[in-house]
Amino acid sequence: MSSSQPRNWKALLLSHEMLLLYVLIAEWLFFYFAGTTVNRRGVTVGFGTVDRQFDILRHSCEIGLLALALTPVIITAGIDLSVGSLLGLCAILFGKFWKDAGLPIPVAAFLALGCGALGGGLNAALITSLRLPPLIITLGTYSLFRGLAEAITRGAVTYTDFPAGFLFVGQERWLGLPTQAWLFFGVAAAVWLLVHRTTFGRSFRTIGFAPEGARYAGLPVERRVAMVYILAGLIAALAAIIYTARLGQAKADAGTGYELFAITAVVLGGTSIFGGTGSVHGTLLGVAAIAVLKNGLACLPAVMRLNAAEDMSGLLTGALLLLALTGSVLPKLLSSWRAHRPAPAPSAPSPNPQPSP
Amino acid sequence: MKSLLTRLGLAAALLLGSVSGVRAADPKLVVAFLPKSKGNAYFISCKAGADKAAKELGIELLFDGPTDSNAAKQNEIVENWITLGVDAIAVAAENKEGISTALRKAQKQGIKVVTYDADSMPDARSFFVNQATPEGIGQTLMDEAARLLKAEGEFAMITASLTAANQREWQKHIEARLKEKYPKMKLVAVRPCDDLKDKAQSEATALMSANPNLKLIMAICSPGVPGAAEAVKQAGKTGKVKVVGLGLPNENKRYVHEGVTDSVILWNTGDLGYLTIHAAVSLAKGTLKPGAKSYTAGKLGSFTIAGDNILLGKPFIFNKGNIDQFNF
Amino acid sequence: MNRYFRELSVVGALGAVLIAMAVFAPAFYQPQPLLSLLTREAPTLVVACGMALVIICRQIDISVGSMFSVVSVCAGLLAARGWPLLLVLPVAMLLGALLGAFNGFLVAGLRLPSIVVTLATMVALRQGLNMVRQGEFVNMPDAVQWFGLSQSAGQWLMVAIALALLVALGLAMRHVAAGRFVYAVGTDAEAARLAGIQPQLVTFLVFVFIGAFTGLAAMMNIVQSPQVQPLSGMGLELKVIAAVVVGGVAISGGRGNLWGAFAGLLLLACVAPALTHLHIEAYWEKAIQGGIILLAVVADGVRSRKQN
Repeated sequence: MSSSQPRNWKALLLSHEMLLLYVLIAEWLFFYFAGTTVNRRGVTVGFGTVDRQFDILRHSCEIGLLALALTPVIITAGIDLSVGSLLGLCAILFGKFWKDAGLPIPVAAFLALGCGALGGGLNAALITSLRLPPLIITLGTYSLFRGLAEAITRGAVTYTDFPAGFLFVGQERWLGLPTQAWLFFGVAAAVWLLVHRTTFGRSFRTIGFAPEGARYAGLPVERRVAMVYILAGLIAALAAIIYTARLGQAKADAGTGYELFAITAVVLGGTSIFGGTGSVHGTLLGVAAIAVLKNGLACLPAVMRLNAAEDMSGLLTGALLLLALTGSVLPKLLSSWRAHRPAPAPSAPSPNPQPSP
Repeated sequence: MKSLLTRLGLAAALLLGSVSGVRAADPKLVVAFLPKSKGNAYFISCKAGADKAAKELGIELLFDGPTDSNAAKQNEIVENWITLGVDAIAVAAENKEGISTALRKAQKQGIKVVTYDADSMPDARSFFVNQATPEGIGQTLMDEAARLLKAEGEFAMITASLTAANQREWQKHIEARLKEKYPKMKLVAVRPCDDLKDKAQSEATALMSANPNLKLIMAICSPGVPGAAEAVKQAGKTGKVKVVGLGLPNENKRYVHEGVTDSVILWNTGDLGYLTIHAAVSLAKGTLKPGAKSYTAGKLGSFTIAGDNILLGKPFIFNKGNIDQFNF
Repeated sequence: MNRYFRELSVVGALGAVLIAMAVFAPAFYQPQPLLSLLTREAPTLVVACGMALVIICRQIDISVGSMFSVVSVCAGLLAARGWPLLLVLPVAMLLGALLGAFNGFLVAGLRLPSIVVTLATMVALRQGLNMVRQGEFVNMPDAVQWFGLSQSAGQWLMVAIALALLVALGLAMRHVAAGRFVYAVGTDAEAARLAGIQPQLVTFLVFVFIGAFTGLAAMMNIVQSPQVQPLSGMGLELKVIAAVVVGGVAISGGRGNLWGAFAGLLLLACVAPALTHLHIEAYWEKAIQGGIILLAVVADGVRSRKQN
């Protein structure tokens, strides 16, 4: 599935990422034509405006960052449910460092990033030193981080009144693009290089595919897996800072539920939840597909009249995820049915095959 | 494959055609109405009033909001409306500072902004349709509780969540009133119910057994009131532990009639929606300008404007005598 | 003895909490509030039983909260239309079983990962329900409450149903072949297949079971009050999974039992009332729950390390 060495053009054109790209283009064109209108004052409004496109980019940065953080994690056959909660905790700590401790913004940001890495480090330590399932460890830290954020602020404190220079990061444009998009693209490029162009990153796939094999091959599996979770924590902290800059406030509920959208984007992007395969560009396409769907729906007149944009985007994201999954296993499934039933009639397989020994 | 493509193209063309057709014959004013969360019965009843006003005024009303109370999503929805070029936006702010960045952006594009239910920063909107100040709500609730307890005894509070801004605000004013006027009353606990009725019921049960001298439960989020009432009823403490709260008449009628809940406090939410939409439309048409001293909203008549707050009036106390007259 | 060490340690922790409550907050032990607490947790226990099956089978189902809401609203609407409860109950369980079967088909039939499948159905069901109901409460006739029984009879009935299900299922998992199959599939699906078990069928059925149990739990919840809130069941999945895992069911499948899950559920269910009774402020609740989960899992890890 990963496209490091396409065997031929056909394989490349039919790879998961390319299929997703076609879906994305189709989606975009549909919304461009159906979601752009001219309003009463004769101004073109809706999906097809440059402003809207930039808004979509701006709104996708935090979830996109979390998806980037999760891609290496999931490639190593792990999962991190705590990134959304860690985002909330780091946002609070950042606000606290700046306002209560009186530190300058860059120092506060630096410390918040450190706290993110520490949070990821806690996950990493528990997962690797005790070889515990990441799902359950991060389920625990999911509650723990959010709980700490609430306990620190007693639920009540909201940090606001950030200086304009900081808000610039979240609300203005720099060199034509929303400022945080530069950060997002920078992280995306770095993660892409790490996963696809370094031996270090390539080992993630080996580890995800067969951890025991990787161990026998002499890879420091524990150390690499630990790195992946620490990196995830670090990126979650960066997302927290961007979130704070975009909304101009840091509050204990920041990032609630983001982990689900991030995981959805990663899986939609073709990374196997069982680990071993996946790509960063796939994840980026997944993030874009969800963001365009969500924002595009809100621009459709029919959907607007139903007052259902928010609900419908959730519903369709779920359906899209199931479709992508089904599509990705179908070829494998067909071939496995054929392999198990070499006898005639390879067609019309039962939906619930019970291969006999 | 080709026929599929043609069919798709045809469908797209039809869709486009219908859209532009609607727009050409449809020079209606578009007003967008943003609740804190969509699934909340409180905002649905506000919307009923808003719909009525929209029909009267012949405008198009857009209604969308986060499915959970989520400050970030509110901003995204407002920004979407900006690019849709609506004429006016009416907002119930989940978070004061957070939403204001998006609202200022809307004003810069010539979109009129009013807030209702919960205000933004004053410079990010023209008017706030004020259903009752947090101070007024806090005082009314606390006074009602004190009246029921004869200003003496323990009580507990159930809130929506520990982070919701308006809940914190009301709680603050309730506590201030308590300190100022009722020294013999004691607030023993504050428990969140996550806006879930079932959880409010569990919390209220635990509160009653943990505090044997508890005389009253005050629920300041709408699912919390019937939840607390059911708990009191099941504990067999009807009348011994009183229930008051902020909630909708329809959700509480049966408990008020059974004598479990003593009074429910709220303003007329339908009127709030109605007044908000009227004000937004008048602003967009230029008939309501900053500095006005009063405002007349259709069938509801005249309202006082204090500074830049359009005042809906005092919160209303629903009890056994009057609750059946209301249906929202 | 050693074999049940994990379960016993949870029971020990639960015992310690209960003793601490007896010392510091004896008011906790009043029959009526305690019965109410148990009644409130009875539906959760039913879902937890299903979740234990699913996790022992090395799968997971995070859509239970959304299924719970959908079934609650549908059953509430039927009851509000005057359907007799004896008819609504099987319909609710059937609806739950159908939703579970959909998950089961995708997981067992198409061999998709259960965490992603149920993530998708969780989001889709929740948002679909929002779209249709817009959060409106369902008001039911008074006769629905407690299945038309008196309150205390109704409460005992709820607790009895949940405990009966727990005991029956707990025994079946140990002494009935089908129950052992679940362990076999969860331990090693390929070995189970070679031993003549159909792993895909077993996997499909555990999802049908958890769906039906969730339907039953939704019914047990809606009869506890005369109104249904469409949000009910929000966050149920995490509560239930946490309870099962704290109770010693291994997330990697094949290990653990329902008794442990029961103890885990009671332990976590005690946190909120215990905080109220000890007059500790509410904002510590989530952090404490997370801490308990981590502690339980870390204890598991340390123990298995020592053994190896």
